[in-house]
Amino acid sequence: MEADLQAHVAFFLSGKASTPNLDTIDRLNLRPALFAGYRDLTRLRYDFPLILLKDESGSPCVESLSGLIDGILDKIARGPDGDRIRKHVLRLEQHIRAQAATGKEGKLSALWDKAAKELGKNDKPVADSLARARANLKVDGEVVDCNGGMPYQLIGHVWALTQTQRARRFGEVADRLIIKLSEILQADFANSNAGRSAANLKRTFGSGPMDKFDFDVMSKLLSKSAPKENLSKNRKKRIEKLLTTLKTQQFFPSPHSTSKPYVFAFESCSEAIKAYRERLPKAIELSKAVAIAELEVRGEYSEAKHDRLFESFGESGLDPRDMALFPDYLARIHAEQLPGGELGSLTEIMSLNLPIKVLVQTDDVIEESPISNGHLAFALRSRQLARMALGMAGVFVVQAPASSLFQLRDKIVRGLDCSGPALFSIFSGVVGGHEQLPPYLIGAAALEARVFPAFTMDPGAGDDWASRFSLAINPQPELDWPTHRIVHEDANCQSVCEEHPFTLIDFVACDSRYSKYFAVVPKAHWRDWLADAGSVIARDKRGDIDRIDSVPSVLLVDPENRLHKAVVTEKIIREARRCLSMWNSLQELGGIHNSHAERLLARERSAWEESAKAIAVASVPAVAVPSPAAPAVAEAAPAELTTEQSSDEAYIETPRCASCNECIQINDKMFAYDGNKQAYIKDINAGTYAQLVEAAENCQVAIIHPGKPRNLNEAGLDELIKRAEAFM
Amino acid sequence: MKTSATKQLLDLYKEQSALEDYQSGVPRWCTGCGDNAILAAVQRLCRDEGLRPEKTVFVSGIGCSSRFPHYMKTYGFHGIHGRAFPVAEGVKMARPDLAVFVNTGDGDCCSIGAAHWIHALRYNMNMTVFLHDNQIYGLTKKQASPTSPIGTKSNTTPRGSYLDALNPLTVSLGVSNVSFIAQAVDWIPETLFDIVKAAYHHKGFSFVRIIQRCPEWLPKALEPWLQDPDRVQLVHHTDGIQLSPGLARVYKNQVEHDPMDIHRAREIASNTETIPVGILYRNPNVPCYEDTRHSGALRTAEAIRKNFEAELDKYSV
Ligand SMILES: Cc1ncc(C[n+]2csc(CCOP(=O)(O)OP(=O)(O)O)c2C)c(N)n1
Ligand code: SF4
Ligand code: SF4
Ligand SMILES: [Mg+2]
Repeated sequence: MEADLQAHVAFFLSGKASTPNLDTIDRLNLRPALFAGYRDLTRLRYDFPLILLKDESGSPCVESLSGLIDGILDKIARGPDGDRIRKHVLRLEQHIRAQAATGKEGKLSALWDKAAKELGKNDKPVADSLARARANLKVDGEVVDCNGGMPYQLIGHVWALTQTQRARRFGEVADRLIIKLSEILQADFANSNAGRSAANLKRTFGSGPMDKFDFDVMSKLLSKSAPKENLSKNRKKRIEKLLTTLKTQQFFPSPHSTSKPYVFAFESCSEAIKAYRERLPKAIELSKAVAIAELEVRGEYSEAKHDRLFESFGESGLDPRDMALFPDYLARIHAEQLPGGELGSLTEIMSLNLPIKVLVQTDDVIEESPISNGHLAFALRSRQLARMALGMAGVFVVQAPASSLFQLRDKIVRGLDCSGPALFSIFSGVVGGHEQLPPYLIGAAALEARVFPAFTMDPGAGDDWASRFSLAINPQPELDWPTHRIVHEDANCQSVCEEHPFTLIDFVACDSRYSKYFAVVPKAHWRDWLADAGSVIARDKRGDIDRIDSVPSVLLVDPENRLHKAVVTEKIIREARRCLSMWNSLQELGGIHNSHAERLLARERSAWEESAKAIAVASVPAVAVPSPAAPAVAEAAPAELTTEQSSDEAYIETPRCASCNECIQINDKMFAYDGNKQAYIKDINAGTYAQLVEAAENCQVAIIHPGKPRNLNEAGLDELIKRAEAFM
Repeated sequence: MKTSATKQLLDLYKEQSALEDYQSGVPRWCTGCGDNAILAAVQRLCRDEGLRPEKTVFVSGIGCSSRFPHYMKTYGFHGIHGRAFPVAEGVKMARPDLAVFVNTGDGDCCSIGAAHWIHALRYNMNMTVFLHDNQIYGLTKKQASPTSPIGTKSNTTPRGSYLDALNPLTVSLGVSNVSFIAQAVDWIPETLFDIVKAAYHHKGFSFVRIIQRCPEWLPKALEPWLQDPDRVQLVHHTDGIQLSPGLARVYKNQVEHDPMDIHRAREIASNTETIPVGILYRNPNVPCYEDTRHSGALRTAEAIRKNFEAELDKYSV
């Protein structure tokens, strides 16, 4: 074996560099070659920073800075000044983005005005462009960049908006019910002796020529003529109780209540569950009050029926759709809290379908394994979490790196507004050995590398996995790893273009904690056996490998964008395989390369090919093989269903009866109406044949058929039979 | 959103009524009068939809047909000749929660009340209207009405009427904001009911012209149509009326028509040789006047008092 190959294989297997021709990657400050173009994110236009918009009904609750600016430019960057305006406004955008990247937070309007002042200080045209743009900035909100606090803020913001909407909805219901219930009590009072007393009449009269009226006489007149019925004691008590419940509830802010509304946002699942449990009896009471009040104001409450029903109301908790009336709970936790009891609480929330929305933020997705030293187990927790959430019915799940949250905003809104639990498992990318990279890039890289794949599970979107589960947001979801074109210059200054997969190995390569698993191969020692890691993994997935004839490597760049190649140890490759297998099972759930479907397809295809072959044989002339599918004799057309009765029996075509009363007038014992007020012969013996015939003749729509006479002794039968013939 | 457990439970406890529960008094219509069939269909609707009597109101003008509210055990308003629509509009405006029905005759609606009819169509308020069209003034004992066919002999036209009949369908289909036009005949109860039901479910001004027999004054007038099923044309569609096998067997003259197509609706409505029966036009997207005009604000005690005082202030000196 060649010395270089031997050294590379040895490093691959043992992680030990046995030759000076393998260098550590620490000093070189390397990053994946794919990142060469993303040195300074603030110079790029992308989804961040975000603006958390206040509740303008109908408008989105979050917008990207670049999206907002594009909207403004669409309106103002026109005509001869268009290009200039565009250039200046984009400069402002970049300025704000750079501010946000340094951690500056605040309202967009404030950041904008500050930036505009600086940029337009000594430049009139710039000041003019920015002033025009500012006039078209119609919204405002907090500016947040993709950083460690963003998921907490974004989820909190959207959640608060859904709560505001619920509060508004509830407020409308409660206000209406309170008014209507109070009116019932007022009407009752006006009807009572006290209400009709002279003193009360005088009081309610207001101001004016009081001496012109005799309130005593008025009271007497009213007492005599007004209806005597008052509210029953029970009903009055019930209504008063409903009013108290509706007015003193603490689930929503209320103008009627003096007590403070409950808090619904918590920093742990266990606190959220505790609050939910404690308030459940109150929630049931309020839900019951709303249901009873609706009946009361419609005048439909019946003590005989409803008292018993409401006695046992809510005994087995509340239906999720009833719960949708109330605010939902929010718990925002960090993944590190999970082992300390929070995992149990989270499981409880999901398995009992509690209306609690949970944000679990993971800051480090490739932390060193908690299990034992030296053992790698990347993304272990998030994988466990994903498996658990997907295993429970009815849980809304979003898993994604923070960098994708803007793209997933509609799903986030749906998740926070759904009834029942929702889990947002978010990777922030702020902790780890990626010191020199911004969290946005780390998040995006974790998504690319399938280390933290994104998916959504929306139980309300349909009844099957195909409608509920989506992997669409992942780059190139049909592949094991997404591939990218990397263009570089070779030694002869010729540009070379290569397709490279981006794998977990690339992701780990830029984390300083794992540099010992990589060794840089000087350019002079680049050999054919240095295969890219993705293809090595793909090959041994297929089981093609039986002896080591190639060593996996990755392409990296230094700060000057010079290309480097590093070999990788087997330990990391093993992790990549594990990561891939999780991704592959997600793909199956998402209907990509689904093994069941593929088997079925293969079976159907071979069956189809078989039958195609058979048809080809059969169509050869003179070898006419009868097709087994063809019926031996032509099937008879199905006989038409007839409902006509024998013409001996008298009958009425009841469905055609126009309810005109003719026959009933003739004999209402013989003819009667059914439940739909259409005539039928109730008792053929209750009248004479003559009446039957008369009815048939009078029937406007000629649907009475008198049949043959029963009593052969009836007078004048011959003539009657003749008249009846027309109706046979 | 699907309904909650509480709502489902309460629905179980809803009162169920029988058809007779909606019947009030004994109709004074002549035996054999087509109005009876309309009454039966409407009572069936009330029962099937579980309409609460205190939440339902029938408004009418004057005529045999306008006696309808007397026979319904619901709220009713037997109005003045030709003015059923303004009364019904007032009811709907003040109480949008009520189910409002209007019963009117061809004289009531198309003669003295024609102006109100046109504007009611344009207002498109959510109510269900039945035009009992017997092509004659029935109550006043046989005078020609606008819908009497040319040549109709009557007390006012002893030598036969001189003008072509007015066609309530084409007139209605020419008014802006029209949203639901259908035609039924009293002697096919199955489609009569289906149409009454579709009209009730349409949100907007649902106008149903019902060709109604008056055996008292025009006993022979509709005979040709009664005797020849091919002179009735059933207008059907997946978004309109669907035909049962039994009906399809008797009435072979059928046409498929999409109720959203107003031009085709006008064409079908113009047919006088055969009587089209079905939904000619339905457009659920036309706004209702009461929705456009209601502020949606709650009527609090203070608001009522304020408005009331503002009204009274107009009269104080
Ligand atoms: C203002 C006014 N003018 C005339 C009459 C007399 N009148 C009563 S009913 C009627 C015609 C009713 O015909 P129609 O509306 O077709 O009802 P039908 O009786 O045919 O059902 C007339 C003219 C009246 N009651 N009031
Ligand atoms: S006469 Fe004919 S249409 Fe009239 S009620 Fe009797 S069966 Fe019905
Ligand atoms: S006169 Fe005609 S419309 Fe009036 S009740 Fe008699 S049959 Fe019916
Ligand atoms: Mg009439």
